[in-house]
Amino acid sequence: MVVLREGMCPGLDEDLVRDLRNADIKTVEDLVSSDTEKLAQKCSVSYKALLAIRRVLLAQHTAFPVSGADLYEELLSSTAILSSGNPSLDKLLDSGFYTGELTELSGGPGSGKSQVCFAASVHISHHLKQSVVFVDTTGGLTAGRLLQMLEAETGSREEQMEALQRIHVFRLFDVFSLLDCLYGLRAGILQQASVGGGGGSVKAVIVDSVSAVIAPVLGGKQNEGMSLMTQVGGVLKTIAKDFNIAALVTNHVTRSLSGEVQPGLGMSWSHVPRTRILLERVEAASAGCSSLRSATLIKSSRQPCNIRVEFDLQRWSRSKRGSEEMRTPEEMDSA
Amino acid sequence: ERGRETVRCDCVTGEGSWRSLTSSSLSPQLFARLEARRCLKDIEPRLFPAHGGPEHGDVVELHGPEGTGKTELLYHLLCRCVMPTAAGGLEVEVIFVDTDYSLDMLRLVSILDRRLTHSSGAASAAAPELALRSCLSRLLVVHCSSSSQLVLTLHLLETSFLSRPGLALLLIDSISAFYWLDRSEGGGSTTKQEEKLSKCSLLLARLLRDYRITVFATCHAIRRNFAGLPASSDFARPHLCRSWQRLVKHRLLCSREQTVDSMSDSVKGDKGERRRQVFGVQYTSPSLPSQRSSSFYVSDGGVQSEF
Repeated sequence: MVVLREGMCPGLDEDLVRDLRNADIKTVEDLVSSDTEKLAQKCSVSYKALLAIRRVLLAQHTAFPVSGADLYEELLSSTAILSSGNPSLDKLLDSGFYTGELTELSGGPGSGKSQVCFAASVHISHHLKQSVVFVDTTGGLTAGRLLQMLEAETGSREEQMEALQRIHVFRLFDVFSLLDCLYGLRAGILQQASVGGGGGSVKAVIVDSVSAVIAPVLGGKQNEGMSLMTQVGGVLKTIAKDFNIAALVTNHVTRSLSGEVQPGLGMSWSHVPRTRILLERVEAASAGCSSLRSATLIKSSRQPCNIRVEFDLQRWSRSKRGSEEMRTPEEMDSA
Repeated sequence: ERGRETVRCDCVTGEGSWRSLTSSSLSPQLFARLEARRCLKDIEPRLFPAHGGPEHGDVVELHGPEGTGKTELLYHLLCRCVMPTAAGGLEVEVIFVDTDYSLDMLRLVSILDRRLTHSSGAASAAAPELALRSCLSRLLVVHCSSSSQLVLTLHLLETSFLSRPGLALLLIDSISAFYWLDRSEGGGSTTKQEEKLSKCSLLLARLLRDYRITVFATCHAIRRNFAGLPASSDFARPHLCRSWQRLVKHRLLCSREQTVDSMSDSVKGDKGERRRQVFGVQYTSPSLPSQRSSSFYVSDGGVQSEF
């Protein structure tokens, strides 16, 4: 809803705005929806002028229809696939996180959600030399852990510091700050080609975890929480699409009535992520804590669902070093 | 007083000239829109009861929770419409209103690509890229991010309806995208909460009457199907406003059915035996008693009929 103001478009002056208001036309919507012919008579303004104003307002406040062919062309040149650094996870994701899409990792406590996020951001900043925005809503991110992961990748202190510099951390603990941060990113930082001194544009936005700030506002018979959740989903998707960024969020899990483990945040959120992965612990035969985790693809538009892979959190980086290939964001092929 | 008089004069002449202008330039288009607009009755006969496909100006709602194949079904219909008649398509233009930012162009292109190569064989394989481009050029995509923007977008699209007689299908994915935003903005009164979607529906009703375009819209279920009850139960109850419900002529309830173990010989044996997810679609109509159930599965080439 946009309120009509003078100077919004040529021809819309103070007098006309007042006349329109007297005719009960207060917003752009009202003006566009009303019968231009009758309105012109009512406000004693020329029909042509009012029609021109209507046309300009429409163009200003709607997105222009784009031809599918152009959209595809643009996508071919702009889409990148960011490898997560882990071959088995990449297999699940059809070679990595796609820019322009929202991917969700869900899992119970200790299922490795955050570790996957850390490892992915380290990989993207160190190997792909791209910047990462890491929104930490649980206080679980420590620079020490990131450094530890980097040390496994490279011995050079300089390279480690460079990589750390490319990871931009935002720490916030409620949904309003999250929205504030994301809208801020959309309006400011992401508009510039690169952030900070580290070089490389922002290619990934990670929110760990999104459910930690959304779940507390849900529940009861109120709509506001649902609305906030829709807004978080909306802004993440627009950021991903408009700036060609891979968005990654983490979510908790609940059990359905039949006892099945499923991602949290309910039905309305389930439509938001393009790809969903469920992480679980693999119970080892020997006692003690195992670093083995399994990942199951539960929603995807590219791969058949329910593919399951296992990986070792401890050998995240080493398994990569074994296979010599250095993944870079590949250009999409048309196949 | 005098100034007012001239303004009014201007207004009247302006109007007059507009009238004469439009009546001369509009009539061919008027003719086109009444005669040539393609009817989509046979868009997918397997989904609708016999001779019960969507007529000119009908609204079809695809209703279901996440992961029940709504989007795949939409892509299937989209492909069928934009593909050339030689390849078994309808060769009409389509507008896709993307309210969820959910259009996966890569997926759409891969489905389209497969179907084109499948239908053409080796004969016209020389220019597959060209055929793909020409299909995609029949598609218009528009994004919107709030329900007030949706109203404005529909107003904007009226010019497209007017100028493109080849346009026959409008897809909205999804119509329920702003449900919670509107609920929250509307405060305590239900009328206020539903005001915006009502406005959209009324406008859409007028556009459909005037331009006779067929609409397919997806609607996300907001309740979980707890007991695994059939689609007629509570979870499928429409939750959008009354004016939208009045608009809907056909409803397709999407659901997930049991996974079927497919034998390697029935599929084109890529990895031998694999469990296959089957999706069910149940047709109901608010005005007619006719029903129909069908099922499909999803492969790399998009929706495939189960039977």
